[in-house]
Amino acid sequence: MTSLAIFSKDDSISPRRSRFVSLLFHTLLMVVSIIMLYPLLWMLSASIRPEAEIFSSTSLLPSAIDLSSYWKGWTGLRVEFGQFFWNSLVISVLSVAGNVIACSLAAYAFARLKFAGRNFWFAIMLGTLMIPYHVTLIPQYVLFLKLGWVDTILPLVVPKFLAVDAFFIFLMVQFFRGIPRELDEAARMDGCSAWRIYWKIMLPLSTPVLATAAIFSFLWTWDDFFGPLIYLNDMNNYTVQLGLRSFVDSSGSSQWGGLFAMSTLSLVPVFFFFLFFQRLLIEGIATTGLKR
Amino acid sequence: MGNKMTGPAAANIAAAGPPRQKTHIPNHPQRKPQPTSWLGRAWQGSGPGYMFLLPWFIGFFGLTLGPAIVSLYLSFTDFDLLRAPNWVGMANYVRIATSDPKFAASMGVTLFFVLFSVPLKLAFALGVAVVLNRGIRGLPVYRAVFYLPSLLGTSVAIAVLWRQLFASDGLVNSILAEFGIEGPSWISHPSYSIWTLIILSIWQFGSPMIIFLAGLRQIPGDMYEAASLDGASKWRQFFKITLPLLTPVIFFNAVVQTIDAFKAFTPAFIISGGTGGPINSTLFYTLYLYQEAFGFFRMGYASALAWVLVVIIALFTAFSFLTARFWVHYDD
Repeated sequence: MTSLAIFSKDDSISPRRSRFVSLLFHTLLMVVSIIMLYPLLWMLSASIRPEAEIFSSTSLLPSAIDLSSYWKGWTGLRVEFGQFFWNSLVISVLSVAGNVIACSLAAYAFARLKFAGRNFWFAIMLGTLMIPYHVTLIPQYVLFLKLGWVDTILPLVVPKFLAVDAFFIFLMVQFFRGIPRELDEAARMDGCSAWRIYWKIMLPLSTPVLATAAIFSFLWTWDDFFGPLIYLNDMNNYTVQLGLRSFVDSSGSSQWGGLFAMSTLSLVPVFFFFLFFQRLLIEGIATTGLKR
Repeated sequence: MGNKMTGPAAANIAAAGPPRQKTHIPNHPQRKPQPTSWLGRAWQGSGPGYMFLLPWFIGFFGLTLGPAIVSLYLSFTDFDLLRAPNWVGMANYVRIATSDPKFAASMGVTLFFVLFSVPLKLAFALGVAVVLNRGIRGLPVYRAVFYLPSLLGTSVAIAVLWRQLFASDGLVNSILAEFGIEGPSWISHPSYSIWTLIILSIWQFGSPMIIFLAGLRQIPGDMYEAASLDGASKWRQFFKITLPLLTPVIFFNAVVQTIDAFKAFTPAFIISGGTGGPINSTLFYTLYLYQEAFGFFRMGYASALAWVLVVIIALFTAFSFLTARFWVHYDD
């Protein structure tokens, strides 16, 4: 069915036929959309329906709204989920700050400052993008263990202040290079220091890229499972993702209502970013090939 | 452009105008007295650059390069976190290559996952992007809907949902039951469990789709017009214009998604409860590495596993770049 019409803004076929084709594609896209969204909507509706109904129904509309799952989920573990949300928020916000500050400092040096060996270090920085984290994982763990940082948020946050997420440096270098050089040349002629140029000229002109970096680092940190899994042991320090995992382990399938309620809640911040920053997210992906 | 200014380029600039911030600035109004020592001059040239890079340098040496070297060393030891590491030579690598059935199983699972999830995901992404690119009404809405799963997909919540969807009494089987089909327990059946993870990966086709859409927009419309005038069918136009001009984007997506698929961890961990079961059928390589390192604390062995993963990813990437000459079409 697809062979003729897929790729056309077509003049050669009749209007009626083209309307038919367009209808066909809309139907197809809608079916795909529904299949894509169905699980998400089903989870949302499972979280607000009476628990007994969860498995008896494939429908998206609950027979009655029952929010008790949220309460059961919130208090379902020996530490309340509020604590996990707080921990996740703290780690994510600090990670955003770290990434934005440290990566923009490095990016400014690479994009604008002259220093011996700049191209060499730039190449090295790009090289670190290729290294899978597994290679540094174990020695890093040993290092943080020796520092007494295991079971604190430090191993999850401090690396961000050391610009370990080189991807953001790359992203910012690209952006900084697009800012007209005349601006900082002029400032330098007037005796502006490198620091003031960075702070008063580059950063204010770079809000789009800083926002993109901030949003992606928030989302990646919020969703991160592996880091917290390794470094956080005490339940009081758990992030939301770890809390969900404990919930799965402790309740088996007996408490699906609470589990779905907390799962839904854990997606709310991500969904919020999706709603309000969609344009930045999509541009970020389209122009740089960011994953996700 | 900044980065290109070395060698000949730097010479051009020096000829064109006063050099900036090199070791000395002859035509420049000087605010500070010129330092006379070699060190002082070097500092004035390179100092600010290195100051700005300081956090990155600490991170690079302390958290990337240093640990990478240590990890290479540990991979030749029997380090177990408690005692000092003993040098065991190639023993870890020999064991990986010859007598570790779990390594073979996990590598098999991972390769299977990569070989099926990546092409299927990309095919979906490309197909939908091509349909969306014909100027369909409501493009932003469709794009948003298809993108949402990519954004949510890596979180534990989605893995939890997947575990329910494909459970024996899960949503998928409830729907099948309405058609009178009795579905198996997908996640606890060794031959289906990996497919639930592949489907999860395909479900996240949104971000490669966005990259394809951006690529499709680069193709000039008059190429299609010319082809239509010459009587080329739409199908032919797709294979002769769209596909060849899109090969660089396809290549990019394929490399990124492949590397990502090799590193997948969270869904397999959650869906199998951390075991990689049933019967190692979802034992992703990274999951096996995690078990060895943080389950059994065989950190020397896990380091060797990590380096094997690096080599495999590097080989895959090198292979892609080598074959790229034969199928990736670069215009210029």
